[in-house]
Amino acid sequence: MKKINLKTLTTLFSVLVLSFVIKAQSYNTLWIPDTLRGTNFNLALKDTFAQIVTTGNQTITGGINGKIWGPTLFFNKGDSVHFNVHNYLNDSTTIHWHGMHLPAVMDGGPHQIIPPGTIWKPYWKVNNNAATYWYHPHLHEMSVDQITKGLGGLIIVRDNTESALALPRKYGVDDIPLAITDRKFTNLNQFSIAPYGDSVLVNATLRAQYNVPAQVVRFRILNAAIERSYNIGFSDNRNFSIITSDGGLLNAPVSVNRYTLHAGERIEILVSFIGQLGQSFDMKAYNTALSNSIAGGETFTTGPFGSFLNHKDFTLLHVNVVAQTTTPILTIPSSLTTNTLLSASSAVITRSLTISDSAGVTTPVILGPNAFLLNHKLFDFNYMNYTVPLNNTEIWQITSSSVFGHPFHIHDVEFNILSVNGVAPAAAQAGWKDVVFVPGRTGPTNSVVKFIAKFDDFADATHPFMFHCHIALHEDEGMMGQFVVTNTNTAIGMNEKNKDEKDFLLYPNPANDRLYISFIDPSMVAYYIRITNSVGKTIYMLPRPELSNGLDISNLSPGIYFIQLTDDKTKLTTIKKFIKE
Amino acid sequence: MKLLKTFSILSLSILLISNYFLINSFTIKKFREEIKDFNLKNTDGKYISLKDYRDAKGFIIVFTCNHCPFAKLYPQRFNELNTKYKPLGIPLIAISSTDTIMYEEDTYSRMIMKALNEKFNFPYLFDEEQLVAKNFNAQKTPHAFVIWKENEKWILKYSGAIDDNGAEPKKVQNHFVRNAIEDLLNNREIKIPETKSIGCQIYFRK
Repeated sequence: MKKINLKTLTTLFSVLVLSFVIKAQSYNTLWIPDTLRGTNFNLALKDTFAQIVTTGNQTITGGINGKIWGPTLFFNKGDSVHFNVHNYLNDSTTIHWHGMHLPAVMDGGPHQIIPPGTIWKPYWKVNNNAATYWYHPHLHEMSVDQITKGLGGLIIVRDNTESALALPRKYGVDDIPLAITDRKFTNLNQFSIAPYGDSVLVNATLRAQYNVPAQVVRFRILNAAIERSYNIGFSDNRNFSIITSDGGLLNAPVSVNRYTLHAGERIEILVSFIGQLGQSFDMKAYNTALSNSIAGGETFTTGPFGSFLNHKDFTLLHVNVVAQTTTPILTIPSSLTTNTLLSASSAVITRSLTISDSAGVTTPVILGPNAFLLNHKLFDFNYMNYTVPLNNTEIWQITSSSVFGHPFHIHDVEFNILSVNGVAPAAAQAGWKDVVFVPGRTGPTNSVVKFIAKFDDFADATHPFMFHCHIALHEDEGMMGQFVVTNTNTAIGMNEKNKDEKDFLLYPNPANDRLYISFIDPSMVAYYIRITNSVGKTIYMLPRPELSNGLDISNLSPGIYFIQLTDDKTKLTTIKKFIKE
Repeated sequence: MKLLKTFSILSLSILLISNYFLINSFTIKKFREEIKDFNLKNTDGKYISLKDYRDAKGFIIVFTCNHCPFAKLYPQRFNELNTKYKPLGIPLIAISSTDTIMYEEDTYSRMIMKALNEKFNFPYLFDEEQLVAKNFNAQKTPHAFVIWKENEKWILKYSGAIDDNGAEPKKVQNHFVRNAIEDLLNNREIKIPETKSIGCQIYFRK
């Protein structure tokens, strides 16, 4: 063998160092997701692939209308939005509209399972305030896998209040969406299923950089991670102004230089780059400041929860300040809105929930005997934690004896935090929220978080809403519960006279473009319709279908189909056959 | 200290490790085991079995399908592998085992069209009951296997990806299937007998 001399070694070493430096400095332009606007939305979920790692093999991904992640949906408050969610994945999934106030049957939680090949058609009237929301899979025990693939997307709601303010609103120019997560890659560039990644991905971009104009810029930041929290700040330690909590504008911008965003949470921030043309800055996660009871603050680099980003400060986005746009926003408003928060005295009940570590619990478990627990239980599809009367205003008090902090998320409502360990929420959290961070216990002292919410508009005794830890791994392991909102004023069909009255007619049959449904009992309402083909595959899932114009069956191929119609009052399901010509 | 979380980590890791070993011991067993012959319908309507190839030294068996975006990147490479290795006694056979109720694009009639349109120079077999894929433990489309004749039996020699770059064939650095065959042809130990196949999960009907 040839003897390697010092010169060769030095050359090799410098090449290695150089290649590392080049690699470390090579940024990729931040990808800005496409947009979908209007009131009719088509989402196609697919198994596909994307070139995420700059060189080498493509990564197998889940994409919505594209190669990874999904389009940003723009809603106007007050509009009715209609969806065709087509599951082309080779597995069942669900799509949950995180933060949206809507009927439970449209919510896309673990109960609204979309089988492969099926189109789910939810719709609702947008009730939410202007803010940034998101959508993501919520299939129980599969959330980590499906979110890891990249399935999800942002929702931007606009309303009159927000539109009247002089705020940056040019999407991708001075209004920049940032979905932040982290991933591990295998040696063939595939995503590893792991709670923590070693590489930051912002909008599915590794080592992202972006040009921002020398003016006030709005960043809409989502913590889309499986587990990690990000303690956000800038490399020059500048202040930035938080203008929204999860579910709406704050009363006034809150100026901070650090803000810790936990899994599932969103903030919108305003950052002034005025007079900084030609300069570059890093938006960073200052996670050395996180304790080891906050996700990402742990110090270990190996094992299932090990990561090179744990307890480190790392860059999220490199920004280069470029020329101003026409009509730039140059000031940060001093006030935004006047939130009328719920007062504690308006609550009719305080529900006491617990978060605990499961040592000593011997009930059957899914992923191991030491998952985290809500109310001392693992999630059970057949166990209803709460029945909430419609229009109830309730305080939920969460007492945590867990050693670890958990971002607690509830569906259906936006809430107001009353206190965290007896202290009123910080200004940036004193608005509408749908995720609240429940800190781990301090020594022997349990943590207590209280929030207040009004459960209005949507009652459904059949389909529940969920509450859970938004660390997807904890949720998959069973740190989740469910509740129904019921309208006690509506009699539930205990003494229905005759099953025949739940009957209906389909016409014309055979049909071509539209299939009409006529109820024998005119007061009958369809709660759910499924259309299946002759081999039993579900083609359409139609929650609370609007039937006045018939069902659009123009896309069905000719053949025999079945309609499974569930009556709203009795929840009895009747099956009828029809022929598509 | 996060003692409990550590317990959780430990139990999870034990679970993961045990799963890992399960998968591996299964695969390793497969490596020593004989591969069962099959009889599946080709896109030309004729049924094909391994025993039909009397002079074959081995086979490249690729589980693939029509619909999968990643599988769509590979037919040209299947043609090239078959062109190169069929004359050396190692023909390539492609098998589609995906669920046709779920994917109309993967039905037999569409397979015929794909084989014609993309000028497949190899058989493209329809594993309607998914039994052959189960026998091979095929996971993804595409998932390649190299099997070799030893004492009149077909023995599994390689399982995994075809190479390490789907979309950019010119940038491939590791031709896993080709390398395994070259090792076998030269009576060498296969350097990389197993990789993870990359593509769309084959969903087995219960």
